[in-house]
Amino acid sequence: MAEAFVIRKSSFRIFRRFGEIFRPESWIFLLAFLTGVIATAWSYSHGYITAYGDAESHLNIAKRVIDSLTPGFAQLGGIWLPLPHIFLIPFVYFDWLWRSGLAGSIVSGIAFIISAVYIYKLTFLLTENKLASFLAALVFISNPNILYLQSTPMTELSLIVFFVLSSYHFILFLKNEELLPLIMAALFGFCATLSRYDGWALVLMEAGILFLYYFPVAFGFGRTDEPETESEASDDVASPEGRSLLAETWSLFEGRLILFSTLAFVGIALWLFWGFLILGDPMYFTHSQFSANSQQQSWLARGELPAYHNIFVALKYYFVTSVSSAGVFIFIAALVGMFAFIFNRENKNRFFILLLLLVPFFFNVATLFLGQSVIFIPSITPITFEWTLFNVRYGVMMAPFAAIFLGYLAYKSGIFGKALLVALIIIQTALYVIGFSPVLALDDGTRGLSSFIAKIPDAQNFMASNYDYGIVLTDDYARTVSIIRTNIPMKNIIYIGNKPYWEESLVAPEKYARWIVMQKDDAVWKNIYDRPEVNARLFKYFNKVYTSEDILIFRRIEDN
Amino acid sequence: MKKELIIIGVILLLGLSLYSLTLRGEFGNPGPGDFKNNLDQAARPFELSPERGRYVHIVNLAERGKYDLSQEWAEVAYPDVGISNGKYYSYFAPGTSYFALPFYLLGAKFNLAQVAVFFAEILVSIISLVFIYKIAKNVFSLTARASLFSVLVFAFASTAWSYSVTLYQHAFTVLFMTTAFYAAWKFAKESGWRAWLYASWVWVAYALSITVDYPNVILMLPIMVYFAYSTFSVKKLEEGFSLTIKWAAVATFLVFALITGLHFWHNAHYYGSWHQLAGGLQSYRHPDEIANNASASAGTTKNVATFFSERAIPHGFYILLFSDERGLFFFYPIFALSLFGIWAYSKKSREGGVSAEYILAVALILTNLTLYSSWGDPWGGWAYGPRYLIPSMAFLSIFVGVFISSGAYTGLKKFLAFLLFLYSSAVALLGALTTNAVPTRGEAMLLPIKKYNFLKNIDFIYSDQSGSFIYKTYLSGKLSLVAYYLIIYIAIALVVALVLIASRDKKHG
Repeated sequence: MAEAFVIRKSSFRIFRRFGEIFRPESWIFLLAFLTGVIATAWSYSHGYITAYGDAESHLNIAKRVIDSLTPGFAQLGGIWLPLPHIFLIPFVYFDWLWRSGLAGSIVSGIAFIISAVYIYKLTFLLTENKLASFLAALVFISNPNILYLQSTPMTELSLIVFFVLSSYHFILFLKNEELLPLIMAALFGFCATLSRYDGWALVLMEAGILFLYYFPVAFGFGRTDEPETESEASDDVASPEGRSLLAETWSLFEGRLILFSTLAFVGIALWLFWGFLILGDPMYFTHSQFSANSQQQSWLARGELPAYHNIFVALKYYFVTSVSSAGVFIFIAALVGMFAFIFNRENKNRFFILLLLLVPFFFNVATLFLGQSVIFIPSITPITFEWTLFNVRYGVMMAPFAAIFLGYLAYKSGIFGKALLVALIIIQTALYVIGFSPVLALDDGTRGLSSFIAKIPDAQNFMASNYDYGIVLTDDYARTVSIIRTNIPMKNIIYIGNKPYWEESLVAPEKYARWIVMQKDDAVWKNIYDRPEVNARLFKYFNKVYTSEDILIFRRIEDN
Repeated sequence: MKKELIIIGVILLLGLSLYSLTLRGEFGNPGPGDFKNNLDQAARPFELSPERGRYVHIVNLAERGKYDLSQEWAEVAYPDVGISNGKYYSYFAPGTSYFALPFYLLGAKFNLAQVAVFFAEILVSIISLVFIYKIAKNVFSLTARASLFSVLVFAFASTAWSYSVTLYQHAFTVLFMTTAFYAAWKFAKESGWRAWLYASWVWVAYALSITVDYPNVILMLPIMVYFAYSTFSVKKLEEGFSLTIKWAAVATFLVFALITGLHFWHNAHYYGSWHQLAGGLQSYRHPDEIANNASASAGTTKNVATFFSERAIPHGFYILLFSDERGLFFFYPIFALSLFGIWAYSKKSREGGVSAEYILAVALILTNLTLYSSWGDPWGGWAYGPRYLIPSMAFLSIFVGVFISSGAYTGLKKFLAFLLFLYSSAVALLGALTTNAVPTRGEAMLLPIKKYNFLKNIDFIYSDQSGSFIYKTYLSGKLSLVAYYLIIYIAIALVVALVLIASRDKKHG
């Protein structure tokens, strides 16, 4: 017994009117805004906004540009790329936004919303299907790793937004060959190159795709009137018409490449010049003691850099991290969508688009392989390692990929397939809720090696309770105390970036500082505590007011 | 129709004869004293705890009329024994024990209680084989020959064989999955009383599958999504939409509610709460163990859901698919062809109007693989091959059938399939004829034997250690186990050669 109900179009009028209040992009904007705000409120209420040690460092870098003993753009330093910190500057001006970390939530939150909207638009470019594109945006918006990171000052969302924006405009250019989208792709590529180093791989890939896009045409591929045999193809090139086509294509490629590169690569050039200007070494970010590469050396020495010079392990680590970050079911569906996309011969640019969306994968595998970065993820990291959870947030760079190709799969699926995909998204969400799927970015921030709050030292509480006034000398890199968690004004901090205060204080600690905070083997400890002549001055002018196994805190005697 | 009946007859005959030749068993109605250091040894009927844990409940139901275990039977199932309200239960879901009970009662009259109980698995497996054939032939429109080959792959070139001749839940899971798949498909096509019948079976199969193995509640979900999809159909009309609801699917939910209600009652009556699962019971600690280890005095309760974790997936995925301990492609490389079959059928399914069924089959495989990859023990304890993937193998074998019958170079494909079948079947028969008690690599390295895959079973073959009831009862001493193995193996190889090569197709599926 089957019963048919006829639902008249008029019954849907209310939904249609509701839907027509805004365009789909606006609905996504609204949805992303609401979920972003809720996620930020949750992070704020749990104290997770600045859970990562790096989160505070990003806030502090921005704060020092406008409020420090030596304010100025030089405070941006030469390791982390400057754009996310520049975005933070207007917000960290307000102390409560700086101390709470909400300054970072605002920047990452805006990036999150724009990313969601442009993931919709990018998927729409590929599918011209509103429902599939909406589903793609929904997958991105509902990813708990993304939701957590957009509530923090971490720089992943800043990169993702420029990655998505640049990719969207680049694909638009591939579709209609107009110059404006290419310029926009270059502009957002420029922003990406100044957000995270992953952005460098993005513009390189885009330049490479430009080459691939034009040159197969010169040799007869990709045209509608493809030559039937190889000899015909080579005749094409050898013939005067073929040579003329090659020359024409070359000049077209040359022009587009120059147009693109002038803007896209200028960020990289500026950064190298900045390194040279401020730090005297254009490659400071790769080999200074603070660089990621230097940090990896200690892992390597311990034999805990598993992907180093092992491409299969590098692939495994980043693949597993990507899968976990996107949600295992979502990622599997996205892979199916990717294959459906590859085998859709109607889209002649499909391989270029795929290469573009896979940039985060190539970049992270390469950096793992080269020992420039490290990821520890519990499912595959040997339990004999000191840490099994570190840097897993790099996996969220593949969240746009997963969202877009799941959307594509929805576009290619029938009603049953679409229903199954919706069920999949619900199941994946439920798996996050019940704890089957870990929210890796949050786990790392709250209990991994990246976490600050997992190992807040007792000295932190001491400074929060006892600091009254005066300048504090500390090695910020060692993160002995969290400045935002105390009432110390940023302009009362002397750290390595405050020339000449820092250098002078390491010789005569009493000259500026009222407080000295040092951790075993940090720069202050080595230069003051370990050097007998300075150590004598230390104990002459300062009282040791706090002692723990690793941390010592001193206060000026005359002020007691 | 006549041809189909003949083929089904062939499946029944092959299944019954070859499975019976390898059926694990020994004469007698074993009592509690017959197990320790006797029937619980490798290649004996109760070599591992899953068989014992289920069998002891059958005996207690038959002899005492109670599901809970007496102290002496609890010792037999130990250490997989939980305790609730002072009564003992094994950790296994109760369904299999209830289903096998009639066979025990019948077999006990002829002093063959254990053999009869294990024979129930054979019958269940053979019904599944028939439904694999019907799904391949009727749903996926494969030729009769390709469909029959799919059946042979599942039956005799997969680890399903090893678990069709002993007392496990896997054969029941495959039965409920394949029949529910077929019934859901028929439901989508039928109307009237037939639709009611098929809808009822889908619900019955879902409810019963949960009673034999709790994870089936998730494993069967794709079928239930498909069933829901078949229940509601939306068509665009000029004036709007027409929404058609097949009320049979909604009304027959009562059957599911009834069975699941009984299941909940069973849980409440025996385990103390309707939502208490057997696997989550407080563990029973043997007095000897408590004496030896003070910390073991307090039994622990477990949350079964926490055994599954996404973190375990990468490792579980490797163990289940590629490892030399349990890897599907290491033990049964014939299934590598199914990947090509899945690919080949993606376009064909749209042309044939069965894309939903195709997606369903793939979804069942992926759900199974993902679920058990996330299981803390993807090896399945001491086991032979990837036993948790047996439900997937039923559908993967259909895609092997697709592989040999689709596209060009079918002759070459069949030859390749034949070679891989020979390897896979040789491995499958090794397990079926000897033992499933194969340790994991970690455990094997602590043992003198150091073997953790089918290499261990080869030693059993050479030393005439078989679990086969027929061989041990009638042929041991007269025929070496190697010869017995070869006779069965050659018989299968000939049948497959006949199916693949000798017969000719008029049309490709």
